[in-house]
Amino acid sequence: MPEISYWKKLWVLFYTFAKIAALVVGGGYAILPVVEETFSKKNNWLTSEELLDMMGLVQTVPGIIACNSAIYVGRRVAGFGGILAAAFGVCLPSVLIILVIAMFFPDLDPKNPWLLGAFRGVRACVTALVTMTAFRMAKKVLKSWFEYVIALIALVLVLLLKVEPVYVILGAMPIGVLYAWYQLGKKPLPARDGAEK
Amino acid sequence: MNLTTLFLVFAKFGCISFGGGFVLVPILIAEMVEKRQVISMKVFGNLVSIAQVTPGPIGINSATYIGYLQGGIPGGVIASLGLIFPSLVLGPLAFYSIARWKDSLLVSGMLKGIRPASLALVFFAMFLFMGMSVFTAQIPFHALIDLVKTGTASIPADFRISWGGLGICAAVMLLMWKTKLSSTVLILLSAAAGALLCR
Repeated sequence: MPEISYWKKLWVLFYTFAKIAALVVGGGYAILPVVEETFSKKNNWLTSEELLDMMGLVQTVPGIIACNSAIYVGRRVAGFGGILAAAFGVCLPSVLIILVIAMFFPDLDPKNPWLLGAFRGVRACVTALVTMTAFRMAKKVLKSWFEYVIALIALVLVLLLKVEPVYVILGAMPIGVLYAWYQLGKKPLPARDGAEK
Repeated sequence: MNLTTLFLVFAKFGCISFGGGFVLVPILIAEMVEKRQVISMKVFGNLVSIAQVTPGPIGINSATYIGYLQGGIPGGVIASLGLIFPSLVLGPLAFYSIARWKDSLLVSGMLKGIRPASLALVFFAMFLFMGMSVFTAQIPFHALIDLVKTGTASIPADFRISWGGLGICAAVMLLMWKTKLSSTVLILLSAAAGALLCR
């Protein structure tokens, strides 16, 4: 699209991501199809390969999935300015909505029995959502004994020994590298280029 | 917590949460409920519930809410900025290096380790939420340690099954499995069912 100016692009990025964040409930994975619709099908700013790449990448780099998608698309479309426009677009509606709710409803420990019951119901629903997410993720992640062992050890550490999640994530990184190195040593073929040693 | 601490703490979360909102939940609980004790477990549960029903990413929603409780409107804004700051700075770099070196030993190995560990955190979040809905108190996992150490374990008196919560949770799972209802609809239905059943 040669006609669109830089500022116009920034505005479209900001506006589109603000719209996605304001209308799509549930965050993360829920916004990916909408991103596809807007930027790949309607505007042709991303090829379907780039989109597929994005879906994998936004889940592997740290941070909020929706925000990472915004950063990825923003960078592809308009560089650093695009990153800022898309990222602020994705955050602005949430921040505004939550601030308004928090101002009118700062006490999240209500006494009204109906409200209390409603919160219990929603918590039960969230439990179901988390459970389904956990098992869906497990199906994708648990590929060999290594993943089972790491997941189990990590679970014991956070659940029973009360280790902070931060250290579990940080600790898992070198173990993963050691395992990848060990696997490489077992391979009969010469190492692929790009791999060390 | 002052604004600088808020920003730095949420920036830390932004650096270490891989793969979506529910990974962030146990991280937030460890820091805000257990370590700093700025909010109670119950309030946190309600907060995540609100973050679920309002549009936008769960992480940003929770950050804004906790930030607001700690430091008013500036607190809410600062906490959210803190959460996305690492992504803004490191995101493009990470996208580039992961795409470029995803077959290298270092990057593929790190991801190999991070993925199952993040999965464990989601299961951890599942147990925490069970303690706030399906059961009347947090699941007493420390009783397991006692059992291994001493051979006997006692379950706290306030730990019971909450039948209303269990029913709603089971019903939602069944609906998710059999229908294509969106999570928003499911949450609204659960709120109505909870108001009627769980008083």
